[in-house]
Amino acid sequence: MASIGLDKSGAEVLLMGNEAVARGVIEAGVGVASAYPGSPTSEVIPAIAEVAKERNIYVEWSTNEKVALEVAAGASFAGIRGFSVMKQNGANVAADFLVNLNMTGIGSAGLVIFISDDPGGGTSNNEEDSRAVAKWLDNPLMEPSSAQEAKEMIKWAYEVSEAVNLVTFVRGVGRISYTRSNVVLNELPDKNKTKPFFPEIWDMNNPRKSRFTSGPFPIFHKPLHEKLEKARTIFETSSFNRYLGPEKPELLIITCGACTSYCIEAMEELKLNEEVGILKLGTTWPLPEKLVACHLISARKILFVEEMDPFVEQSVMELAASLLPATAKLSFFGARSGHITPYNELSTDIVIDALSDILNVAYRGRDIAYENLSREAAKLVPHRPINMCPGCPHRATFWALKQAITLDGRNGFLCGDVGCYSMGFSEPGFFQSRTMHAMGSGAGVASGMGKLKQFGFDQPVLAICGDSTFFHAAMPALVNGVYNNSDFTLLIVDNSATAMTGFQPHPGTGQLATGDPATVVSIEAVCKAMGAFVEVCDPFDLHKTTNALLKMMKKEGGTKVIVMRHMCQLVKDKRRIAREYKMHVDPSRCLADNCGCNRLCTRLFGCSGLIVDNKSGKAVIDEALCAGCGLCSSICPANAIIREAN
Amino acid sequence: MRKEKLKKDPYNVIISGVGGQGNVLLSGFIGTALLNEGFIVSVADTFGVSQRGGSVSSHIKISEKTLYSSVTLKGKADVIIGMEPVETLRTLVDFGNPTVITIVNPRPFYPSGGVEYPDLSEVRQTIEKMSSKTQYVQATEEALRMGNPIYTNVILLGAVVGSGILPISRESMIPLLEERFPDKLLDPNINAFNKGMALTAET
Amino acid sequence: MSETGKGVKELFEEVINQGLCTGCGACITGCPYLVDHEGRIVLMDKCTGGDGDCYKHCPRTFLDRDAISRTVFGSSYDDGEIGQFLEIFMARSKDPEIRKRGQDGGTVTGLLVMAMEEGLIDVAACTRMNEEKVPRGYLAHSRSELLHCAGSSYEACLALQAYRSLPKDNLEKIAIVGRGCQIEAVGKMKQIQPQNSPDPKNIKLSLGLICGWALSPSSFHPYLKEICELSNVSKFDIPHTPHYSFDVHFNNHPDTMSLPLDKIKPFINPACWFCWDMTAEFSDISVGSAGAEFPGWNTVIVRSPVGSKLVLLANRKGILETRSLPNHRLENLKKAALKRKNAAYENIVQKTGNDEDLLYLRTLPGSIAERYSGKNE
Repeated sequence: MASIGLDKSGAEVLLMGNEAVARGVIEAGVGVASAYPGSPTSEVIPAIAEVAKERNIYVEWSTNEKVALEVAAGASFAGIRGFSVMKQNGANVAADFLVNLNMTGIGSAGLVIFISDDPGGGTSNNEEDSRAVAKWLDNPLMEPSSAQEAKEMIKWAYEVSEAVNLVTFVRGVGRISYTRSNVVLNELPDKNKTKPFFPEIWDMNNPRKSRFTSGPFPIFHKPLHEKLEKARTIFETSSFNRYLGPEKPELLIITCGACTSYCIEAMEELKLNEEVGILKLGTTWPLPEKLVACHLISARKILFVEEMDPFVEQSVMELAASLLPATAKLSFFGARSGHITPYNELSTDIVIDALSDILNVAYRGRDIAYENLSREAAKLVPHRPINMCPGCPHRATFWALKQAITLDGRNGFLCGDVGCYSMGFSEPGFFQSRTMHAMGSGAGVASGMGKLKQFGFDQPVLAICGDSTFFHAAMPALVNGVYNNSDFTLLIVDNSATAMTGFQPHPGTGQLATGDPATVVSIEAVCKAMGAFVEVCDPFDLHKTTNALLKMMKKEGGTKVIVMRHMCQLVKDKRRIAREYKMHVDPSRCLADNCGCNRLCTRLFGCSGLIVDNKSGKAVIDEALCAGCGLCSSICPANAIIREAN
Repeated sequence: MRKEKLKKDPYNVIISGVGGQGNVLLSGFIGTALLNEGFIVSVADTFGVSQRGGSVSSHIKISEKTLYSSVTLKGKADVIIGMEPVETLRTLVDFGNPTVITIVNPRPFYPSGGVEYPDLSEVRQTIEKMSSKTQYVQATEEALRMGNPIYTNVILLGAVVGSGILPISRESMIPLLEERFPDKLLDPNINAFNKGMALTAET
Repeated sequence: MSETGKGVKELFEEVINQGLCTGCGACITGCPYLVDHEGRIVLMDKCTGGDGDCYKHCPRTFLDRDAISRTVFGSSYDDGEIGQFLEIFMARSKDPEIRKRGQDGGTVTGLLVMAMEEGLIDVAACTRMNEEKVPRGYLAHSRSELLHCAGSSYEACLALQAYRSLPKDNLEKIAIVGRGCQIEAVGKMKQIQPQNSPDPKNIKLSLGLICGWALSPSSFHPYLKEICELSNVSKFDIPHTPHYSFDVHFNNHPDTMSLPLDKIKPFINPACWFCWDMTAEFSDISVGSAGAEFPGWNTVIVRSPVGSKLVLLANRKGILETRSLPNHRLENLKKAALKRKNAAYENIVQKTGNDEDLLYLRTLPGSIAERYSGKNE
């Protein structure tokens, strides 16, 4: 609730991890912040944007994470601290630039990336431990265990980054990004920045290669390792690495990040404060080996508690092997022993189970009577499937697509993609997306399938991407299709927002991260310029859209685009655009279970604005949820759903 | 700020509802008020695709000593604020215990896709069986009487404060409402809050 | 075989996937699950209902000819070669405009125009070809619309969906024009009340078209499109002289495109070979071509009192020229109809492998087997 720009050092406010990171960025005097929206990180940039003008910070939504990192690197090259933030997949996208940036080193000003992973995939269609990127590409890595620590680590990361001349990662997880807790604010720096200057200009009197060019190779790999060793030395004495517990614990937990509080709570729950010690590592790559070695030999049993990959576990095991025979008598537990699951989110309960098992300590949960009560109650609780919002234009697009593919009758299919329309792979989208991978992959896979005719392939190929996704990753795939004359139809669902991640603007929306107006990049103009055959439809006109799709599927050869343009309902709500219709069902016309309907609207169409009245058995509009978009009126076979202009 | 002692440390509160009902607004108010009262709080809301009509919950852990993770241990909820009956029950299944106190807005939200909603009276009875104390707060009805269902969660907030189950006073909450709702929106929301407080005044 | 509680799933299993669908259109009831797309019946999504009109009224799920005869005529089924009839003669319209547009004599159009002008019917559910000569079920409300519906495409048009498209509470007096299978479906609708279509009591007149076979629109029409400019076509015809051919006449030039029937045969709907009813036995009046001997004339079979009354009125109004049907023409017709029944019987038994299982036929299996298996020839 408090703005992160509060100029009151010492004030204690409730901030989520993402906001605390934003505050850290401001307290560190960063000049340029860039990112592509990706949950669980999407709140960082808007938080900075809120105070960007008054704190003299340039903040932008970039088209993808590689470009975002390049933007921040440009700032660093010119002596301005740069910052970028991304989810785990973003690290993959940025990796090619990063590997080269590590060869050249950054500029005089620090460059920090905040990556937030998503164990459990609550906001992703995959699960990946991005810490491996730091190890793989040789970057220092630190992991905060709370929002407060995230803020402090961001600031310290700049010092580390400048000390070793490397991009430094601060890596969180969704639990850290979204959990709000007490954060004490510190001083805000002078908003004036030193005038940026790019030092590596061409000097005709002393022509030489710029240090920002990554060649010749592999000379740069050795100094990179030396930089990393320097970081390790700094990490050995970092106060972010903390030990709590007895001097010689029976069991030493080595943990990091969000898992820290699970370990503390588990220890307290089982009352093992005398037996268990917790070494919480804040710096996890490179490993502060001297520090860890000290604690290793103080214990008998070691339990590694971390989410997803056994990242720390593996580097400590490597360390323990190198310390033989001193570590010969240790027993190790963690992912390897099966006590800690190397996928999904962890919880205090999992740590309690592990400790209970390893130390042979019983843990009583609820009594049996309550457990039985709970088991019975569980049978009452219905599944609440996720759905597209009432009024969502994707529902219209997927319905029209389903109709067209079925009428066409040649086993056509849609290559799906990532966004709110990800739901195309499941019930809300009528299971129309038949593949789904990374952003922009739908168009790429379709581009490939569209070239299989020479082998006798005869199924119509379609793909989908959103407006933001188009700029992010689908454009190269579309060019690929046009250039190679691939036969497929790309549906670009343009709802005027990067909706799934929180309605951030993008190049098609005419708005910048700061809310200022921006040049609009027209999607259809770009597609036409590429040479695709382009049409624009409003998906709410189901008849026209279905026919357009049928026509495109029948059109032999070439890459085709249909822009399905209709504003996201939640964007309409935010902009206070009035509901278009007032809806109601005429029960005298509603056929419900009977022949001619068989509950089409609630059973198949599935908008949550339509429910079944248990008493009458007829469909009825749920006024609390209906968005008044009028679409259901078009699908009712009995014309029983009436829409009146508002 | 006056500070009450916690009945238990840490104290576990769960707010459960359906995506779009506004549990995040509620958890924000409660978390900030608690922080201002001098407690250490950890608040986590369900994030992700659940928002689109799925089950959502916010876990709030309150302590006077140290920062814990927000997530409640299985079977360890102390208070459940249910914005919807079936979601309240869902939370009780995992986190309930014989001592939990439950405050529920009993108005159902029907799942989409033709999923059957269970018998409401059976749901209510089970909630009562699984809680040490259950209080029903007709927040939606009250909001509709005020003319707009959007007041539901502020009414519920008032009910929570009025019940005294959390160490939050009216004096802590009002400035937060003032900060959040500018000009014309302030009066109706204060009104909604007061109405909510009145609904649970006796505790 | 059970006939209740079945729906679109069984329709596909028992009829459409078995190659028995004649393309009558009775199942296209306006429900969202069964749709006519370019002459193909498409299943749009999963219908879990088990009591569907689509199954009930399809003439190829089950067909009790005796029950339908009782419903339509009030008497038991006349299993003669051409079904029951009160009179049979030849006719043609006296109206030159109608004769010009009609396939042979314009008798159907003439009768409908008169019935409409006399207020006996308000709407006729027939078939109309569009500019590209694609035939579709059409609801004609006027003389000029009826004129536009004259002329045959020879395709198995799912025309009954036109009647199905009328709302249940529609009170117009309806005439239906259809091939034998379509008239069978109408008979079933009269016997089993439709759930979402107008009360069949409102069907005041059913005119049957004598039909030997029909062409599959989904394969034939694209073929036609390739070989000629369809928007220039004035008429399709299968004259029985000098040799059977499929003729295409054009607006803008006198030459006729004459396709040998062998070229057309691959496009015949295979379901037609299981058809019992060449002469539309359950209509009020059946009309067909009078053949090569009498070009421009129709053979007219009057079957019911409704039919008789209409013909009487036509004579009184002087809208038809009539002459008696020569005996040899009647014998020819009966022979052709019998030949069809024999072939249908053989094909059905060959398909089921068992002469006790006659697929959709439900009436008097014994007498059918005896009479039409050729044993009694």
